[in-house]
Order: sequence, then structure tokens, then C-alpha cells
Amino acid sequence: RPGAAPGVRSLSPWLLTAVELRYAPVLARRSPEDPQLGGLTTASTFVLEQPRCVFEGFNNTDIWLVVALDGATSAFNITARPGTAETAFQGFPDKVPAYMTLNATLANYPCPKPEGEIAVLRVGSETSCRQDAARPSCNGPLPVPGPYRVKFLALQGSEPVAMTDWSVPITLRTAKPISSIPTTGSEHSAGMIALTTILSILFAILLAGLMAMLVFWGSDSCGGSSTFSKPESVMVQRYNTHHVYDQPAARL
Amino acid sequence: MAKSDDCVHILQGLLVFGNVVIGMCGIALAAECIYFVSNPHGVYPLLKATENNDIYAAAWIGIFVGFALFALAILGIVGVIKSSRTLLLVYIILMLITFAFEMASCITAATHRDFLTRNVFLKQMLEGYQESEPANEVTKTWDELMLQNHCCGVLGPSDWQEYTSAFRLTHNDADYPWPRKCCVLDAQGVPVNLDGCKLGVPGYYNSNGCYDAISGPVNKHAWGVAWFGFAILCWTFCVLLGTMFYWSGIEY
Repeated sequence: RPGAAPGVRSLSPWLLTAVELRYAPVLARRSPEDPQLGGLTTASTFVLEQPRCVFEGFNNTDIWLVVALDGATSAFNITARPGTAETAFQGFPDKVPAYMTLNATLANYPCPKPEGEIAVLRVGSETSCRQDAARPSCNGPLPVPGPYRVKFLALQGSEPVAMTDWSVPITLRTAKPISSIPTTGSEHSAGMIALTTILSILFAILLAGLMAMLVFWGSDSCGGSSTFSKPESVMVQRYNTHHVYDQPAARL
Repeated sequence: MAKSDDCVHILQGLLVFGNVVIGMCGIALAAECIYFVSNPHGVYPLLKATENNDIYAAAWIGIFVGFALFALAILGIVGVIKSSRTLLLVYIILMLITFAFEMASCITAATHRDFLTRNVFLKQMLEGYQESEPANEVTKTWDELMLQNHCCGVLGPSDWQEYTSAFRLTHNDADYPWPRKCCVLDAQGVPVNLDGCKLGVPGYYNSNGCYDAISGPVNKHAWGVAWFGFAILCWTFCVLLGTMFYWSGIEY
């Protein structure tokens, strides 16, 4: 047992001495400058950081991921073996309090993690074996929004040799119904109100002008009829015959 | 009187000039509306699917109003030069009818632009987008929109996570957190990195929303129809008032 590894303490009260590592699984994160993964948590999956440099020294082990609902973490017995009905994904969460999946060895988690590489585990990505009882270690999509807690467990043969802490609760997204999208209540913009008002006023003035025109159609009032003459009308020049030496009469 | 003749000629000149401007603006309005209606890269199918494509009705009215304005402008010029009361009366009445139609078109375009908010498109997309065969109009339009503009959803791919949708009914969340068209595709239309797309790694999926790509054309359209029409109507108002004044001064 590699007791020299830092951050490690033995769980002596247990009959099976599994080493408890001071590490809790976390949701995947890129560097602080980079944007988050868009699919970090969806309605049925979530993405964890790979446990790089956590299980150092535990060669020849299978590292499993244990997934449990938040309230059921105490019901998980580390003596449970993967690939059996009591840890089968297909029975989760009704018959099985915690299931084990994502089997890997230390070779899958090389240490140190190369810079710029995205080392993640997507929990819930296998949809084909969701109902297949022959695949109890299926990494199937999570049935409820959670919250879930996970931990990594290293088994040598079928004996637990090391495990991490439980993670903080991870809650998945819940989709809201379409009817919750508000589509009414859009205000009328100021531009539209101004446009309507001004156009209505202009139209009303024009109608009033038309009415005035039609009312005064036949009448000679307002001195209108003789203001403008038609081009083809004859221009009559009046001559004042009494005073031939006077200025000729003005044109009309 | 010379002064009166000069006034007549000035008024005639102004009215002829006014009508020339109206004729040219009518042609311009018709051309602009034809462009909007026939634009192949537009968002007409989306607007049609919202069952509120009154902006396009406004554009169609604009086409006919534009041609009508051109024809009436010619009639007006002839009527002013011949100083014919009958012609000018017909001109004024027809112009008022055209004015009323154009007014309706402007107000409709402005009002319905206010109606088309993000939420309207979001609701329509969630209800209508289905990646199944045969694809409906909404799906085809959205696919083309997302491919051309390298965008996803209205506000982003998280639209598919935050709300239930018709897409979600046929495609499970673990395999399709968002439609495949949101992934960065290669020349054959295959996602460059499907796992990266499902994880939401920037660079393998389109993380920005399509609303800007939609609202751009809709805004241009609404402004083009509504405000250009408004400007034409203001000018027409002045010309009509002048014509009414001229009409009332004609000898008969």
C-alpha cells in the first residue's frame, strides 16, 4: 500500500482498508479565460474532470465511477462489485441506490495532464445500452435531474483499494415548457405611434380639403374663379377709346 | 395681371416638380418592395410560419401603391399643365385613395415590426423545428439560416436545453443536446467533431444565436417600407394641398 503518497489517509475502522484520497470529483472546467463547455450539464448528462494525478501509484486497478443521488450516498457499500445487479445502471434509481460505470485503468488517466488538452468524462453519453440488462455498467443517460453525487473507486480484482470523496451535489438542467415563453406585452415603439398619429392628421386635413373643394365646386365665391385663367382663354384688351392719347388700357 | 400669371406659372411649376418627385419616389418604393418580397435569402418562411406576415402584406401593398403613385403623378402633371378641373379632381380623389392605402401599409409594417420579438421566433422555432423527414418549412428555413450564418437557435444552443421542444420529442437529450446543424460541419455536411459538438467545446459547435441574423433583415424591411412610405406621404400631402388650392382657382 503506497502510504507515502501525500494527501492520503487510511480508513482503519473498515475491515477492508481502502485508501481515501483527498480529492472530490468536479465538473469539467477549462482555464478561467476560456468559455465554459456548452454541454457541461444538460438534461440527462454532465461532464466531469478526469481524475488525473489522483490515483498515482495504484497500478493494476480498475477505476470506476460511482453515481448516486444526493440523499443515497450513505447507502452505497464499497464492497459492492461492478457488473452485478446491485450496481447496474438499469436499476437506477429505484432498485439500485448507486451504480458504477466508466471503467478505466490508470493508463487512461496519464499524469501530468498535457497543457491545452480537454480531459473529461461525459456521464450519460451511452444511449444504446439504456435498457440492456446485459450491460450493467452502461454509462446511460441520467433519468432524473438529480442532484447527484459521484466518486471514483479503484478496485484491484474485486477489492476496493482507494476511493475519492463524494463530489458536491450536481444538478442537471430542467427544461421549461414552451408555454412559459412570454410573447405578449410587446410595447408599441415611439416611432410607430408618431408615424400613425402624423399620418392620421395629414389624411384628415386632406379629407377636409377635399370636402371644402366639393362643397365650393359650383360656387364662384372666394374670388377663386377669376384668379387663374386658362391658357387658351382669349386675352381681351380693353381700349379706352375716349382718351386715345392716354395709356393703352392695361392687359387683363 | 403679370403678377397673377407669374403666380400661376410658379404654382404650376411647383406642382409639376412635386408630381415628378412623387413619380420617381413611387417607382423607388415599388422597386424596394419588390426586392423585399422576392429576396431569396430573406426570412419570409419564418414570418409566414408565425402567421403574422403582415410585414409582407405591407410590402405587397407598397408595390401597387408605388406604381399607382407613378401613374397618378403623370396624370397630375397633365392636369396641371392643361388646368383641367376634371382631371385634377380625378387626380386628387385617386391620390387620396392611394394615400390611404400607403398609410395602412406604413402603419402595418411599423406595428408588426414591434411584434416580432425574440420570444416570438423562439416559440416558433421550438414548436416547429423537427429534424425528421420530411422537413417542414420552419425546419428548412432554420437549417439554412443556421448553416449560412454559423449560428444556433435564437439566443444560442441553450435554447434547446432550457425549453421543451418538438425536436426534443424525437431526439433524446444525451445524443442530441442540440440539433446537428449547430455543429461545425465540414464540406460534406458531417460534423467535424461530433463529441466536441455534444460537449459544447467552442470551435466544434456554433455557440451564438441567430436572432441578429433574423432581426437585421426584418428591421431593414420594416424601416424601408414604413419610413420611406412615410416620407413619400408627407411630400404627397404638400403636393395635394397645393393641387387643391390650384384647383379651386381654376376658371371653368
